[in-house]
Amino acid sequence: MNDRPELFRGNRILLGCIYWAFVLYVFVPLILMVLMGFKDSRFIGFPIRSWTLDWYVGVFANTEVLSTFGYSIAIAVLSTLISVFVGTWIAVLLESRKFTGRPVIFGLTVLPALVPGIISAIAFRIYARWLGIEPGMGAIIWSHAVHNVPFVVLVVMARLSTLPKSQMEAARDLGADPLVAFVRITLPYLVPAILGASIFCLLLSFDDFVRSFFLGGYEPTLPVLIFAMLRSGMSPEINAIATVALIMTAGIGIWAERFTRRMKKDT
Amino acid sequence: MTDSATAKQDRPALGSAGDAPTFWGRLVGWGPYRLLMQLATASPRRQFLILMIFPVLWVLTQHLGPMLYMIRVSLTDAYPVAPGVEQSFTLEHYAKFFTNSIFWQPFFRTLTFAATFTFCTLIITYPVAYFLARHVSRRNQMRFLLLLLIPFWVGEIVRTYAIMILLGNTGAVNLALQTLGLVDRPIPFMYTSFSMGMGIVYLTALYMLLPLYSALEKLPQSMNEAAADLGAGAWTRFRRISLPLTIEGISSGCTLVFLISTGFYATPVLLGGPSTTVFAETIAGFFHVAGDEWPTGAAFATIMFMAALVITFAFQKLMNALRKGEAK
Repeated sequence: MNDRPELFRGNRILLGCIYWAFVLYVFVPLILMVLMGFKDSRFIGFPIRSWTLDWYVGVFANTEVLSTFGYSIAIAVLSTLISVFVGTWIAVLLESRKFTGRPVIFGLTVLPALVPGIISAIAFRIYARWLGIEPGMGAIIWSHAVHNVPFVVLVVMARLSTLPKSQMEAARDLGADPLVAFVRITLPYLVPAILGASIFCLLLSFDDFVRSFFLGGYEPTLPVLIFAMLRSGMSPEINAIATVALIMTAGIGIWAERFTRRMKKDT
Repeated sequence: MTDSATAKQDRPALGSAGDAPTFWGRLVGWGPYRLLMQLATASPRRQFLILMIFPVLWVLTQHLGPMLYMIRVSLTDAYPVAPGVEQSFTLEHYAKFFTNSIFWQPFFRTLTFAATFTFCTLIITYPVAYFLARHVSRRNQMRFLLLLLIPFWVGEIVRTYAIMILLGNTGAVNLALQTLGLVDRPIPFMYTSFSMGMGIVYLTALYMLLPLYSALEKLPQSMNEAAADLGAGAWTRFRRISLPLTIEGISSGCTLVFLISTGFYATPVLLGGPSTTVFAETIAGFFHVAGDEWPTGAAFATIMFMAALVITFAFQKLMNALRKGEAK
């Protein structure tokens, strides 16, 4: 923040306009997409003259769509559990002390996050076949879990680096062995980070297309279903499905942001 | 922070005599558990090794394994191996790439597109990050940032679809242009490199914005004020102060966005046309068929991965050199 705002007023107004234009740029397409889902016509396009809820009714009377939602959520939850477990463990190792090979382990840890989407999907596809994992739910969960580990590691490491050393020492002095000290001191301290990372993984997995597409079996996840529907043309049903997915992801995101910030304030 | 955390531990000490033992106290005192822990923590070295085994195995088999195995498959003549047939190694799949323009054209197009879109993202988000970090009060910064985060929690496919609706022939942009009387017929935005760029910038903007924001936030305001007092105009201040001092943010943002945008598959399929086929689509083509083309697909994916690595590495080197040059 400027101590002397008078100095930079001109810039401030101009940059403010750019910021709000950017806000419009990121929101308007989504708002238009949501509006289109209420249009009383099969034809996707403007202007919208009359409104209806029929598309929503139609989509959610369809058990196939509902089961796709359930399938995507199940994949997100299971892959997140694996990512959080593995990611926390790796973070604890990396933050424990300096050791030879630490940069190498760290580099390998963040690798899946840096590999471009299509290449990662292909690599997982080939590897899954070698491991004997059939395309389907297990394969998707596995690929999402591996892909999301780096994000957990980064978030948990950041939190671990602020853990006061004195607490661990006090616990050890009082007779706790390393495992108990970890469960009683470190883990509670990490809860905000772990929750934040979990939500992030849930969203990444729920939104992921490319891995789900190449590792999926016959049952589509939500993004794969929307993609398949889009390939055969735009339709208001897609808008209805996409809008519900949008509300879910954005809602969880906002909630998590507020929640983790409140938790961080408390500790 | 420390106060409240210590307060939480005002409970009976672990394993202390006299108090009723807690669950943890009992666990620590339980024979088999104690034996196990003694074995595991006999020396700091052993304790560390036990902590290390699982993560090391995981990153080697799960993170590195798929990439190495992909490279291995790219060098074999057929995959999967038919029973009874000897598998042999070959470079023919790599040769295929260089001898056919159907393959290397999309490859260079992808790299050009990714570089262009990365640059566009940088130009678009820099002023936004600058505004957030320099002209918004601390209290509001998180709020303003959160506002931008909301759309980015929405998935890739949903946001791509939103762009399709925006840019279509009967889309919002064309409707607005026609209502204003600027054009008679709708402009065909869709299925061009423009619509693809629009989609990719839309998808990646946040990955540029966040590194830029954190770099700009660290910039001391006093430097700008000093420069302004000495008569430097807005442009000079930007070029001589903000830009050199945020090179690190620019470099990590660009690297991220470049890597992400080379990897998009669904967005080019949905927003692009026949003249904008990207390498991701070429690679994917080999995997839609049963399996005998997999080595070729693996080879192409390897080529793309190596190219992306080399380019980002060179880019980071360049940025580092720039930064050192400025520091002199």
